[in-house]
Amino acid sequence: RKMDSSAVAVAAPLLEAGGKEMRHLGRTAHNMSSSSLRKKSDTSLVRKVPCAALRGFLSTLQEVLFGTKLFVLFPAVLLAVVARYMRFGQVWLFVLSLIGLIPLAERLSFLTEQIAFYTGPTVGGLLNATFGNVTEVIIALFALREGKITVVKCSLLGSILSNLLLVLGTSLFFGGLANLGVEQPYDRKQADVSTGLLILGVLCQSMPLMLRYAVSAGEHAVNSDDSGLVLSRACSVLMILAYGAYLYFQLKTHRQLFEPQEVEDDGDDLVSEDEAVLGFTSAMVWLAVMTVITALLSEYVVSTIEAASESWELSVSFISIILIPIVGNAAEHAGAIIFAFKNKLDITLGVSLGSATQISMFVVPLSVLVAWVMGVPMDLDFNLLETGSLFLAILVTSFTLQDGSSHYLKGLLLLLCYAVIGVCFFVLRRRSADGSN
Amino acid sequence: MDSQSAVTMEAGAPTRKESGRLPSRHGGHAHGHSGLARTAHGMSSSSLRKKSDATLVRKVPVASLRPVLANLQEVLLGTKLAVLFIAVPLAVAAQCFRFGQVWVFALSLIGLIPLAERVSFLTEQIALYTGPTIGGLLNATCGNATELIIAVFALVQGKIEVVKCSLLGSVLSNLLLVLGTSLFCGGIKNLGADQPYDRKQADVSTGLLTLGVLCQSLPLLLRYAVSSGEHAVATDTTVLELSRACSFIMLLAYVAYLFFQLKTHRQLFEPQEIEGGDEEEEEAVLGFGSALFWLILMTIIIAVLSEYVVGTIEPTSQSWGLSVSFISIILLPIVGNAAEHAGAVIFALKNKLDITLGVALGSATQISMFVVPLSVLVAWIMGIQMDLDFKLLETGSLFISVLVTAFTLQDGTSHYLKGVLLLLCYIVIGACFFVTRQPAPHANNNGTLLDVPTGPMIVQVA
Repeated sequence: RKMDSSAVAVAAPLLEAGGKEMRHLGRTAHNMSSSSLRKKSDTSLVRKVPCAALRGFLSTLQEVLFGTKLFVLFPAVLLAVVARYMRFGQVWLFVLSLIGLIPLAERLSFLTEQIAFYTGPTVGGLLNATFGNVTEVIIALFALREGKITVVKCSLLGSILSNLLLVLGTSLFFGGLANLGVEQPYDRKQADVSTGLLILGVLCQSMPLMLRYAVSAGEHAVNSDDSGLVLSRACSVLMILAYGAYLYFQLKTHRQLFEPQEVEDDGDDLVSEDEAVLGFTSAMVWLAVMTVITALLSEYVVSTIEAASESWELSVSFISIILIPIVGNAAEHAGAIIFAFKNKLDITLGVSLGSATQISMFVVPLSVLVAWVMGVPMDLDFNLLETGSLFLAILVTSFTLQDGSSHYLKGLLLLLCYAVIGVCFFVLRRRSADGSN
Repeated sequence: MDSQSAVTMEAGAPTRKESGRLPSRHGGHAHGHSGLARTAHGMSSSSLRKKSDATLVRKVPVASLRPVLANLQEVLLGTKLAVLFIAVPLAVAAQCFRFGQVWVFALSLIGLIPLAERVSFLTEQIALYTGPTIGGLLNATCGNATELIIAVFALVQGKIEVVKCSLLGSVLSNLLLVLGTSLFCGGIKNLGADQPYDRKQADVSTGLLTLGVLCQSLPLLLRYAVSSGEHAVATDTTVLELSRACSFIMLLAYVAYLFFQLKTHRQLFEPQEIEGGDEEEEEAVLGFGSALFWLILMTIIIAVLSEYVVGTIEPTSQSWGLSVSFISIILLPIVGNAAEHAGAVIFALKNKLDITLGVALGSATQISMFVVPLSVLVAWIMGIQMDLDFKLLETGSLFISVLVTAFTLQDGTSHYLKGVLLLLCYIVIGACFFVTRQPAPHANNNGTLLDVPTGPMIVQVA
């Protein structure tokens, strides 16, 4: 009964008349983007299995494991575990874990969306907002636990940069090329809200940095060595408050600004998911399983990052800022590009800006507060190069998005900004052991 | 004599001392003489006024005393803030009887609030007599009289850091605190309604503010560049000379802005009409001579209280455990701006954002492009070495504040989240200055830089 997605696709226009409200419950831009990577399950194979209970289980398995075009990467998960226990070499472990994380991130987003169908609009929206970047959160937590504060800061910062410049840049570029001669409008109000929050985020990160420089230059003094830490923790609380206000704004009072554009059913590559395809319990079970596997692979990544960095002669900063986020964002990235091709830039913007805002105003301060609980001295001082790049990236993105229509040159500009920042971190080398924080 | 003619729309308007100076009124003459001096500033403060009750005065038997008392009542009790006037004599008493410097500081601060509002009222009254252009100029120049007086006294006492921090804090307070609370309260009150404003006015002010930040950044950057060896300068006072030159340029820009605002592009700055306003103050309620007299008197009292404030700021900072920077950047401007702040919030609640923006941005622009360079030049005349180098933390905060405000205001409508963002920015900046302490005595106020910092923070014992 829940399996035949094609029947659902046919029924969707009939359900249209019944009002759009139920339809848009969990349908944030995020979900619609990831849904472009889904494919309809072929249920014919499953029906051949004689035993009914097994049939249910197998169809769930099929839906979960094979419901995405990225499933070919799933073997990397197994290979990574094998590499760990057979001691293939840390670099192999690093690479395989990274590759394995790509489909896992996509499946987590799918499962979160399924659960959101059962929990109602507000909680669903909250769930999507909170778990949209669960991979980054897990990587950050593991790095904190091992005390690798640089990795935490760099991976989160890199995720923001990747969303703002890489994802948005490639989307606008390819979308612009595919729609040459056609106007590409988007609603700039949504972009303005996200940009405002991002600037507040960069202010909160700049103040501890400037304080440190001001104190070193003798312009100001502080009571104790960890005043910057105290300031960072206070700012983190404020950032989470701002994020809470943003969620309230987005989900309650100004919903209409964030409604994604309608998606016509293309039939072949889009699954019309107006009903859940999994049961609530089975979705929860799979979510837990996937999270555990993600945690496992994240732990491998975090512990082998230095080995990979030595072996490839790149700095840990570069790997954390450039490589890890490309992996973590790969699924969203693909989705955003697909929607830009179809000239649905509101969804692209919703994905990339929403993700960047979430990481900047939720995951980063959360990491600081979790570190406080763990007793790890993480602050919001992300060092000059990183904070400077973030500041300029936000500036470029704000200017690019402020007029409400797009073309390929905008995408090219953002991409080149990303390339420049990447090159700058590429030429860094690892700091000596006593300089690392 | 009672000029309760049908012309005045307010019931119980007090007696007017001069006759025959009724300005041309509404109706066919649209924006004749009366609407001219009604800048956003004036309209905002007018929301704090209240009608004088003329009945009490009429009971006084002596005829000649009556106008004086009416005058007194209009000036002293004409505002809802009149209750704070008590702090003024208390402050003087505290200073003379040596109650303790913290008391003098606190009472002086509280006493400044109603005085600032009254000065703005009196300026508006005088402006009604002097014609449109001069009226606009007067409003523009005296709008921030309190900040100017505090700055001058701090210069006299050689406390350059207090000058810089209080002026900077005033700009920050206008841009972030006043605007933030107004947009937030207005957004909450008007949920579901669109809140438009004219972004052209905001753009002009933002442009000037950005020029101001540039003028402040260049001496700072020059100092850092010289310290890290990228450039060299001829003498030690090059930064000072640069600052003085930039101050001239900033004043030039401000004059151009005034010309733009008062002569050629007036229509951009006309405040929105207030329908059914209960304070129709398009006539002066005071005579010209009496308004001038009260203005001078109030200015003298402000000067006295400002001197107390500036003189007691260090003991207060030590006693409360806060740095002088924090008190100058956060506390002093909150007080100096309190009346404007209340007015801006009230107009935002009524969905008249153009007036709110006119108050907040206009004030910030005036301080940044007029009071700051004026202070530098006055310091030059006094022989004090004040420059435009406001140090890294302050200039960085100002830069990001101008940026945030510019982005927030660029689309022409408002909602409460914008107000929340601006407020949170202000709190973050406040928190950062809260954790600073006084630098050790060997670092002089102009902060000659030692070297480019590399490692973690150095602890300095205050």
